[in-house]
Amino acid sequence: MPRKAKENEELKRVVKDTTELKTKKSNTKKSTNRTTKNQELDVKLADTKTSNSRKKPVTKSVTEKKSSTSRKNTTKKDTSKKSKKSSTVKKQVKPTLVEYYDLPERYNQTVVKVLAQTPKTLFIYWEISDSDIEKYITQYGENFFETTKPVLIIHNDTLNYSFEVEINDFANSWYLHINDTKSNYRIELGRRPVNNNVDLKSDYIYITSSNKIESPNDHILFNNSEKMVYFRNVKTNHEIQKPLYTLSFMKNIGKIYDIYDLYSELYKNEDSLENLSNPSSNMSSQFK
Amino acid sequence: MQQKKGYVSFVLHAHLPFIHHPESDDYLEESWLYEAISETYIPLLTNFQKLVDEGVDFRITMSMTPPLLSMLDNKLLQRKYIKYLKRLIELSKKEVIRTAGDERLNKLSHYYLDRYSNDLHLFKDVYNCDLISQFKHFQDIGVLEIITCGATHGYFPILYVNEKTVKAQIAVGVQTYEKYFGRKPRGIWLPECGYVPESDKYLKEFGIDYIITESHGILYADPTPIYGTFSPIVSPEGIIAFGRDMESSRQVWSSINGYPGDFNYREFYRDIGYEADYDYIKPYIAHNGVRVHTGIKYHRITGKTEFKDYYNPQWAMDSAEKQSGHFLDCRTEQINNLSQYMDKPPIILCPYDAELYGHWWYEGPYWLYILFKKIYYDDCNFKLITPSEYIDKYPEIQVCSPCRSSWGANGYSEVWLNETNDYAHKHLHVAGDRMCELAYLYPNAKGLKKKALNQCARELLLAQSSDWLFIITNGTMVDYAKKRIKDHIGRFTKLYYQIKNDDIDEDFLKDISKKDCVFPDIDYSIYE
Repeated sequence: MPRKAKENEELKRVVKDTTELKTKKSNTKKSTNRTTKNQELDVKLADTKTSNSRKKPVTKSVTEKKSSTSRKNTTKKDTSKKSKKSSTVKKQVKPTLVEYYDLPERYNQTVVKVLAQTPKTLFIYWEISDSDIEKYITQYGENFFETTKPVLIIHNDTLNYSFEVEINDFANSWYLHINDTKSNYRIELGRRPVNNNVDLKSDYIYITSSNKIESPNDHILFNNSEKMVYFRNVKTNHEIQKPLYTLSFMKNIGKIYDIYDLYSELYKNEDSLENLSNPSSNMSSQFK
Repeated sequence: MQQKKGYVSFVLHAHLPFIHHPESDDYLEESWLYEAISETYIPLLTNFQKLVDEGVDFRITMSMTPPLLSMLDNKLLQRKYIKYLKRLIELSKKEVIRTAGDERLNKLSHYYLDRYSNDLHLFKDVYNCDLISQFKHFQDIGVLEIITCGATHGYFPILYVNEKTVKAQIAVGVQTYEKYFGRKPRGIWLPECGYVPESDKYLKEFGIDYIITESHGILYADPTPIYGTFSPIVSPEGIIAFGRDMESSRQVWSSINGYPGDFNYREFYRDIGYEADYDYIKPYIAHNGVRVHTGIKYHRITGKTEFKDYYNPQWAMDSAEKQSGHFLDCRTEQINNLSQYMDKPPIILCPYDAELYGHWWYEGPYWLYILFKKIYYDDCNFKLITPSEYIDKYPEIQVCSPCRSSWGANGYSEVWLNETNDYAHKHLHVAGDRMCELAYLYPNAKGLKKKALNQCARELLLAQSSDWLFIITNGTMVDYAKKRIKDHIGRFTKLYYQIKNDDIDEDFLKDISKKDCVFPDIDYSIYE
């Protein structure tokens, strides 16, 4: 597909005048399966969404409940911007542009991205572009995507090991448990034959690699191997190092951290542990 | 006079997402700002003023986020706030009549009439609608340190996949601060306390000295900080990090034992918007007839049952005074304990959402006022300090890399990345990449193209607000949050193609520039 055409296709998906959306979608190959629940929901919303050309834009947001029911009740098809402008503007009231947007299902790019949700959970999302899909089909045959399955290879570059998880073509993102915190990870997206009968001349086809991330640390390190403590005077930028054994207060570090452990113990006895440590997720946020 | 053995530092994070709808009066979300002004910002300002008038030497730090500053500076929102107050005053007057037969209720309705009338007087006549200058005044006289925040409260640990988008959040945060406060900020409140070491170099580039992290941002640092959260650490890149103290946080935040749960305090959820006769209250609730908070609340927490007694402001004040004494005693003891183990004075950092004070915890600003007075007049072993002052006094700081962390549920990124909102991230990432692409393709754009490019930057930044993701996770007002992501990504994408196709729709650009008018001086070249 020429570049411009691709852009237009995406734009149509973004801006809501996409009557073509469904037919376009059915023409694309594998990717049509790769909608998440959320996206499907959005598309449905887009399909039932209306905006009566003479009224204000349908952007009322009162309470969640209210607005969602009002949306459901409206079933007229969206009229285009042009027809809005041409309709009854006698009173010289400047109409506000009617806008309705939906998020595109995909961006037609070959990409895999990884984020750290927690120290032990990674979130990975991916997509393969139409041109790459074509490329693999040309190279490996019409049934390439039926005879192979997608896999993610997780590389831990800090501890120097890799492992693989099998995913599926119905997903476009994945939460993945990892064992090692404070480690550098990168993800590779590839495909493997579904069984031994498939002859692809290779048992692994590399597709693309992700960004690199470090999984967060989740515990006090107590670096016993460290012999020195480094200090910097932030006014002069002068750095000094003090050997651990000369620092009399080092023997107290445990006591300082005991206080922390004590708090952790205290919190455990409360029902609302989350409330204690997570300000932004509750009390103060009544606005939101 | 007792020797001062340590310091306590209060940091209030004042933030609301940018909500501005000139196109309609139907957005209830705009009232978040009005409620925060009446319940938090004005009470804080009046209490600061009282302390100054009474000669109390105090210190407090506040982050005021760029979207909040932009809204406080917005003429339309200022007018709408006045309208909001006038309606409330009208309702309060009706309440005075309606409650005439009940002495206790009537007293309360008079209380609200006085309070909202006073707000209107202060806002219009005293502050001249300009709250920012009021806060700036307290910074200028040295009792308040104001710090900045990411441009639209974008959550760095997810955005940093494209580092330039983090850089832009920082750059615009610093520029907005300079515009309103006439100097550079020394500190930044990382949105949601979301820390990634990758942002350090940009923080440094824009002159930031210090950040605030969640407790484990310090406790899990590498190497282990020898003073725990009771002293800051400095990252190898030179960014100083202060960690939240767990004990003092707990006393305020805990929903079970926390101060705001005192039975004498005002009950947040009992509001006449939900309780008064429908026809009577209809003009003061949502336009579509949905019952909402009005700000007039007559009950106190009372106890753990459904039964709620009437609010008694004097009892509430008594409780606040008792609790501020308790807080003071706890800090005194904490500092006594700590100072035995440390060879420099400990700092107890107490960060909170500013809106907790007053909006959620109605008596919070008064509690703070009494506490600051007690600290000043009582013979206690600590002083109030700002992080900047602490750094200047004790510049020798242990070098450690803070831990990747946030102050959200469980301490990492789950609030902003989970099954309810993970669909949004690829759109934010793609838009971020496209913004960089545009900045690269059109480095010295002029005229209409430049306007369009700047608007693209605004749309991207607005889409990146961590608030939308948070609201989706929280499950209230979800439609609004989802719509905001769609609208900003949609507007961005439409403009992106118009710019690339050299086919900019001027009417469209004008329309969205009016709606999304945040950061009028933005320069898209920050994405280069």
